[in-house]
Amino acid sequence: MTTRCKVAILHKATQQYVDAELIDGVTADEVNAAEAAWRPVLDEELKRMANESVPANRRPEHAHWDWRHKCEVTEGLLVYQMLGIEHDSKMQGLMLVQTAGVFCRLPNQKDKGLVYVMFIATAPWNSPVVVANPRFGQVGTVLIAAATQISLDLGFNGRVGLHSLPQSEDWYEKDMTDVGIDLKKNLRYFEMTPEQANNFIR
Amino acid sequence: MSTKKTMTLNLTDPEMGALEKLSAARDMSKTAVIRQALRMYQLIDSRLSKGEKLFFEDGLTKEKKEVVVL
Repeated sequence: MTTRCKVAILHKATQQYVDAELIDGVTADEVNAAEAAWRPVLDEELKRMANESVPANRRPEHAHWDWRHKCEVTEGLLVYQMLGIEHDSKMQGLMLVQTAGVFCRLPNQKDKGLVYVMFIATAPWNSPVVVANPRFGQVGTVLIAAATQISLDLGFNGRVGLHSLPQSEDWYEKDMTDVGIDLKKNLRYFEMTPEQANNFIR
Repeated sequence: MSTKKTMTLNLTDPEMGALEKLSAARDMSKTAVIRQALRMYQLIDSRLSKGEKLFFEDGLTKEKKEVVVL
């Protein structure tokens, strides 16, 4: 089942907030449309980066993510929720969360349930790693706020966890607790406590 | 978020005891525990129906034991 609600994202050029829709329960058709719109932009920018010999650590780390496949393997299962933000009939960001079977690692939250953000990405035209002048901002913020809201709704008191790609670590560091490198994934793991969640969505 | 529907749940004393214990241990309401359990049960049922098996692994010995789900 899909629900939609109004949110605001930042139009970077004018620094004005514009209305967008947060979709909880993104459909396969919507994911296909998003991939069809995102992929050419990503491929073109990756080609440009290769031609300009841009170092690997400055190229988008999630360019290989296949949202169609993620949708296909998670569709219909309550434990997974795919959310998106739509504006101007285009998907501006996508997020896949797991809502059961994942527990906190922070010592003072240990073994308490949380919402785990499996994948989160903004559209390539919104990503400063991909384009010089991103179109919309706050897409990630709205999606993480939505994960926090799901956590509250499920009785997890706002607890959220995720593994960050290296390019995004600075962003998560601001609002979440750095639990350190998870050697199993070789990625830094972050958690949002109920207190941090409360501050984040305020 | 989706709208919710209300139902009455009849549990035996041991079932209620287990639910209360989980609720306290996980710092969640009893409703939240039941919703979690449903999510996990649906996931496991879906994987098993595709022919996969569910195992528990001993953290130290790495010994695996299959979980039989009825």
